[in-house]
Amino acid sequence: MTRILLTGNAAAAWGARLAAVDYVPAFPITPQTEIIETLAEWIDGGVLDSRLVTLESEHSMLTAAGAAAVTGVRVFSATSSQGLLYGMEMLYNLAGWRAPLVLVNVSRGLSAPITLEPDHNDVLAARDSGFLQLHCATCQEVLDNVLLAYRLAEDARVRLPVLVNLDGFYLSFTREPVAIPEPAAVADFLPPFSDCGLHFRGGQPSSQAVAVLGGGLYSYFRYQVHLAAEQAAAVYAEVAADFERRFGRSYPAVEAYRCKDAELVLVMIGSFATKAKAAIDGLCAAGQRVGLVRPRLLRPFPAAELRRLLGHRKGVAVIDQNLSPGRGGILHTELTAALYGLPQGGPLLVSFVGGLGGRDIAEEEFVQMVEVLRQAVQEGIAPPPRLLFTEEELQQVRRLQDIAHGRSEGKGEGEETS
Amino acid sequence: MSESGPSSHSHLAPGTPLCAGCGGLQALQQLYRVLGDKTVVVNAAGCMTLLSIYPFTPFAGSWLYTAMACAAAGAQGVRDALDIQLAKGRISSAEDLATVVLTGDGSAYGMGLSATSAALDRGLDFLYLCYDNEGYGNTGHQYSSATPRAAHTATSRVSGYAGSKKDLFAIWAAHRPSYVATAIAAEPQDLARKVKKAAALRGPRLLLVLAPCPTGWGFDPALTVKVGQLAVETGIWPLKEYVDGRAVHTKIPRQRTPLAEYLRLQGRFAHLFSPQPDEQRLAELQQAVEDYWQQVTE
Amino acid sequence: MYRIRLHGRGGQGIKTASRILGTALFRSGFEVQDAPRYGAERRGAPIFAYVRADDKVICERGLIHQPNLVVVADETLFDLPAANVLEGLDGRAVLLINSERSAQDWCRQLQLPGQVTVLDGAAVVREAGRVPAGALCVGAAARLLGVVSRRALLQAVAEELAGHDAAAIQTSQQAVSQAYELFAGEAGLVQRLQSGAKKSVTTPPKWVELDCEALPRAAPTITMAATSALVKTGLWRTRRPRIDRALCSRCGLCRTLCPEGGIDLDGEGYPVIDYRYCKGCLLCAAQCPRRAIAVADERTVSPPQPKEGEP
Repeated sequence: MTRILLTGNAAAAWGARLAAVDYVPAFPITPQTEIIETLAEWIDGGVLDSRLVTLESEHSMLTAAGAAAVTGVRVFSATSSQGLLYGMEMLYNLAGWRAPLVLVNVSRGLSAPITLEPDHNDVLAARDSGFLQLHCATCQEVLDNVLLAYRLAEDARVRLPVLVNLDGFYLSFTREPVAIPEPAAVADFLPPFSDCGLHFRGGQPSSQAVAVLGGGLYSYFRYQVHLAAEQAAAVYAEVAADFERRFGRSYPAVEAYRCKDAELVLVMIGSFATKAKAAIDGLCAAGQRVGLVRPRLLRPFPAAELRRLLGHRKGVAVIDQNLSPGRGGILHTELTAALYGLPQGGPLLVSFVGGLGGRDIAEEEFVQMVEVLRQAVQEGIAPPPRLLFTEEELQQVRRLQDIAHGRSEGKGEGEETS
Repeated sequence: MSESGPSSHSHLAPGTPLCAGCGGLQALQQLYRVLGDKTVVVNAAGCMTLLSIYPFTPFAGSWLYTAMACAAAGAQGVRDALDIQLAKGRISSAEDLATVVLTGDGSAYGMGLSATSAALDRGLDFLYLCYDNEGYGNTGHQYSSATPRAAHTATSRVSGYAGSKKDLFAIWAAHRPSYVATAIAAEPQDLARKVKKAAALRGPRLLLVLAPCPTGWGFDPALTVKVGQLAVETGIWPLKEYVDGRAVHTKIPRQRTPLAEYLRLQGRFAHLFSPQPDEQRLAELQQAVEDYWQQVTE
Repeated sequence: MYRIRLHGRGGQGIKTASRILGTALFRSGFEVQDAPRYGAERRGAPIFAYVRADDKVICERGLIHQPNLVVVADETLFDLPAANVLEGLDGRAVLLINSERSAQDWCRQLQLPGQVTVLDGAAVVREAGRVPAGALCVGAAARLLGVVSRRALLQAVAEELAGHDAAAIQTSQQAVSQAYELFAGEAGLVQRLQSGAKKSVTTPPKWVELDCEALPRAAPTITMAATSALVKTGLWRTRRPRIDRALCSRCGLCRTLCPEGGIDLDGEGYPVIDYRYCKGCLLCAAQCPRRAIAVADERTVSPPQPKEGEP
């Protein structure tokens, strides 16, 4: 096993290469493009026996990906942000087709206003499609999750598409040391593609993705996707255990960091979780009892595991790098539902929204969030949700607004701008 | 199905819920007779979505329903996946299938045009059948960009469609694919010849088939063929093919029947005849046909 | 509450009929619900619509399982179990059939607990002009309810046909009015049932736990060929083509042109129409070069016979 410096994008491409994918429908979009460029180079150079086809949109890309998967080959694809939303119709379709492919999403904030930097609204928009979701915090995890994702997707008990998410810039363009597993070991871990009886072959009639009339039939098929997704939780545990046995890296569905005797816990997904860890290390060194809980698996939602890890804490702060306007943080909503009605009452939950559009979360902000949580626990009242946004940032916004519109002070309607 | 008999592999089974007298189903039926069950038909949203309603399918071969915009992209995925498996020795050539895209005009002329254009750019080896019933038929016949000028549709009820039918044949041909043809089921020999010719070629092959629609156009289903024949005889639906870089007419109606005879049969043009004939508009529509033929036969 | 179900075939104006009745009841001071039921079916296929009317806000929704009036605009629907025309008819319900046959005839044939009454729509059409069967039936149905005035009914016809030419509206009003008059003697035959008259103790639903099932069964996939042959679209047909072998030249054009794939050639090369599937578009009859295909009214021939060899 070699350890080299790889960007998150390159790690994703390595995952696809080691999984020996047959087919890569592609479409460029920042910050994902490096993944398909890397794969294209390997395929052109004969390193990877696969076929890459650039479609004219993500909608078509996902269609080709799903169609190939239900014809009988292993498919990899990647997108980001606007691309994921442009293909949204097909996300639901591919889940309904039971197309077992892996799609990497490199998270990026959604337009408008258009931006390049990450938050999680794109991937969370795919939350209800029927795709399973694995969320990464490091470049190593990106590579390993792609391999885990194929085992999960192609398992006959699951047979659903899987989305592997990594943050734009913070992982996509960031190099970290990544251990690259031996291809032979990966081949042992990941058996050849099995089509579970869904394919197109001469002499074997097959009509796929057929229309239904009537709510009973629709309910049945849609609920089968749900049951398969739920069943994927146990399959994931099995697959992750097998991965750990073979490669020595452990990926439980929910990562718990310094949680053993923590009274207060931060909950978040994605790469900023490592920043939280750094802050927690400092707090623990100062004698505080603070931990981090990070769901890797977001679909199926590891509700039981989260109840086990969080149910007995005093306080939980959820940091959402997403925003559902008119509601707030999406993870906060999901976690509230998971922790509702516990016999012991459950922890006090405090909601923070931060890191939108790639906005950094500074160490002192993690410290302050813990402080707010501590006070809330003491008072027994959760404060209103808090956007992580500083006075300095507002001043900066004001300066830019003044350029965009002219200075605001002392200027009324109809006055000339200088 | 034992009851569909020994010839079931070369025609679509009956029992589909499409309208009686459907000119599109008629064309598909004739196409399937030539291509048979060694096909996977990749379908976009449209009337033909309803061909397969669980658990009933008319196909002896294969079928994949995609969505409105992306049947050509679905065909790309299927074709590539079959080629990959052939190349890697995972399936035999006997297990290979021809890839056929099936869409209506709503998809072909509009939402699906981008995916089709790109498939043509890539030289995808597939056959595309568009059943052109000149409107969004499955939703109650609203106008599409295939709707002819002056036609009443559910969204042009008052004075008829103000636009003109888009020249999809020319758009497709501009991509220089292996083959493009217009056809109609009312001319079965011409259609069968074109399907056979297309089937023998490789690369992108596209058939644009006018599909007289009793429901959307407002005529008695018994007249489907008559309306289709008149479309050809009046010259409003030119039968032609593009092959080897050239467009050639396969049937030139030199003694053209007056267009009014075609229009008069259809409820969607009734406002041109009643309460009194709209001579000016009828003359304009006739002139458009004249201009076309003058241009192409000069 | 009045719970009225209207059955017919695609193309017989059943949706418009339900709207005319809905509007007429609304104009008469009722709270109303009317809706057509769409499926994948097309012209000729059995369809239905329903109307509810009550003097207070209606909370029920969806299909009517226990009607107090069922209107059948096309008597051939009784031959189609799938049309489910008789569902939920009990002793209090009234069945109105558009038919030239007598009510006694139908009573004998159907053996129903409720009352049967008949509208001879064909006779009305002969006198008043061509009007869709659905609209005719509504004229009769409105009178059977006994709570809709002629004026409200005719106003509803005009409202629902707005956009049609004046002559067509007038013809419809005449025909609807005539049907309304024919039922003067049966005005109010339909009993209005208390909206709360449903049983107070319901049978609990037999909910099941769904298991996660294996593919391909758990996907919307069909791995059998040509299963649509199980759907007998011949039931849509109201007129049937008949091939006269004496005139047939065995050119096979009808087989080529049949959109359904419902014509095969026999051992001698003669075309044979599979009436299990023929939807009755009749383009074969229109196109036959020898005029060897005649057209017969479906009601004058026996119900669809299974093809030889069919199990």
